[in-house]
Amino acid sequence: MDIGLAGQYVLNGLMLGIIYAMVAVGFTLFFGVLDIIKFSHGDVLTVGAFTALAAYAGVTALGLQSPWLILGVIALAAIAGTAVLGALIARFLIMPMRGAPPINVLLLTLMLGTALRESVRLFYPNGSNPKMFPRLLPGGAANFGRFTLRYDSVLIFVAGVAVIVGVSLLINRSKLGLAIRAVAQDAETARVMGIDLEAVVLFTFALGSALAALAGVMNGMYYSEINFNMGLLLGLIGFSAAIIGGLGNIYGAILGGFLFAALQTIGAVLLPVSSAYKDVFAFAAVIVLMAWRPTGLIAEKSSERV
Amino acid sequence: MSGRLAVENVFAGYDRTDVLTDVSLVAEPGRITCILGSNGSGKSTLIRAILGLTPPRTGRIVFNGHDLAGRDTHQIIRAGIACIPEGRKVFSRLTVAENLRLGAYQAGNEVARERMARVYGIFPRLAERAGQFTGTMSGGEQAMVSIGRGLMAAPKLLLIDEPSLGLSPLFVKENFSVIRRIQELGITVLLVEQNVRQTLAIAHYGYVLMQGRVVASGTAAELVENEEVRQAYFGDGVRPA
Repeated sequence: MDIGLAGQYVLNGLMLGIIYAMVAVGFTLFFGVLDIIKFSHGDVLTVGAFTALAAYAGVTALGLQSPWLILGVIALAAIAGTAVLGALIARFLIMPMRGAPPINVLLLTLMLGTALRESVRLFYPNGSNPKMFPRLLPGGAANFGRFTLRYDSVLIFVAGVAVIVGVSLLINRSKLGLAIRAVAQDAETARVMGIDLEAVVLFTFALGSALAALAGVMNGMYYSEINFNMGLLLGLIGFSAAIIGGLGNIYGAILGGFLFAALQTIGAVLLPVSSAYKDVFAFAAVIVLMAWRPTGLIAEKSSERV
Repeated sequence: MSGRLAVENVFAGYDRTDVLTDVSLVAEPGRITCILGSNGSGKSTLIRAILGLTPPRTGRIVFNGHDLAGRDTHQIIRAGIACIPEGRKVFSRLTVAENLRLGAYQAGNEVARERMARVYGIFPRLAERAGQFTGTMSGGEQAMVSIGRGLMAAPKLLLIDEPSLGLSPLFVKENFSVIRRIQELGITVLLVEQNVRQTLAIAHYGYVLMQGRVVASGTAAELVENEEVRQAYFGDGVRPA
């Protein structure tokens, strides 16, 4: 293969990888603190992307011009909106289900995801159709033979890496992060240490949801398009990535995100048929991986969480 | 007085079955009060009730004159109660320093640093191992972490649940002398133990729990002479269930 084309594939894989990693970290955080799988996570991502789009309509109507300012405002709106949504879900749907069979929580969040998705479709103006996502980052690209490096892609990637690094610093270096890790290991003993369990859980859900929103916005900026069911596939991919990495492990989730993107990219290159089959290839590979390593690539020791 | 705990007519349990029936006891400030009882006598449930992990169904738990009813665990901890839990319950995937920091979770960094230095003074071994994952340490060292973590809260009342469980005799002895030193710091101690002889050797006052009821109480000297205690622990009597 031409080296330029290969570079293009690698770049695309990295872009997808960082987006998947951000979704996967959310799954792994939720599982870490409460031992639950939150299937509505992908649809929270959708809500985040549409919140950003609605905010865009709002700020342009107000006459805001600067693309950087607009980008900042809509990203903040998406983060704030989904963080509140995530905390509300945790407070009113998931916390009351503590002690219920895990399958009930799974079903509840599955239904919640459907409700969120359909709400976006019904209530967002003309929500059934794909929406153009505004190009707010500087256009332009550097060309190296068949390899085109879009500047906006570089910015999106760097932003994603910064967010992931920031989150892992928060988890590993801050007092709040210490509380999250303590709750993940042993919630009851964490309470005896004086940690407000509910506050930690709400914060974790707000954080994971905000990450999903950013992933949704980045996805929208990368493809210049969002639609009401974008979260379905992204959620499933993020979940798979978290599983590959070993659920409950942040670095595993990040690794899993990039691995899934690599699988998709390999699928797109290797399959002679349309690259539409890349997801089939990637999910099939994940199934094989899971059969080989049922607890994920970075196996979780019984006490190891977040 | 500071650090006085009164449990008044408490009923507590799980799934509508009471484990504790009408339990009343007092831990006097600055003293070591012990709860004796065999497995299943309700000792752990009593600790859980005081900590708000298994809130009492009825009855009052009064600490320093404040009723703890309806308070969440972190608020009860804020009132000045800390616990060295049964089985140590260290966070095995966190370092020694992180475990200690969690013990003073509600305190600021500055205060926590001072207290940590003091704990390292009591257990120099922990200072050497500050960056080590607690799960890789020996049982005795983990016990030090658990005790040190309890002290980090600088509590007025320290609940100590079965500290000698699973430790070597040498370490059990060491543990009891540490508990003595904790009391000498002016901390009220409520000690739950199965190791009756050594417990009564350091305790001022004690209660005997049997099947969720207080069946005997008195000073350590009185309890040593108490018929029920002798039967249950020292003598040839049948151990209660």
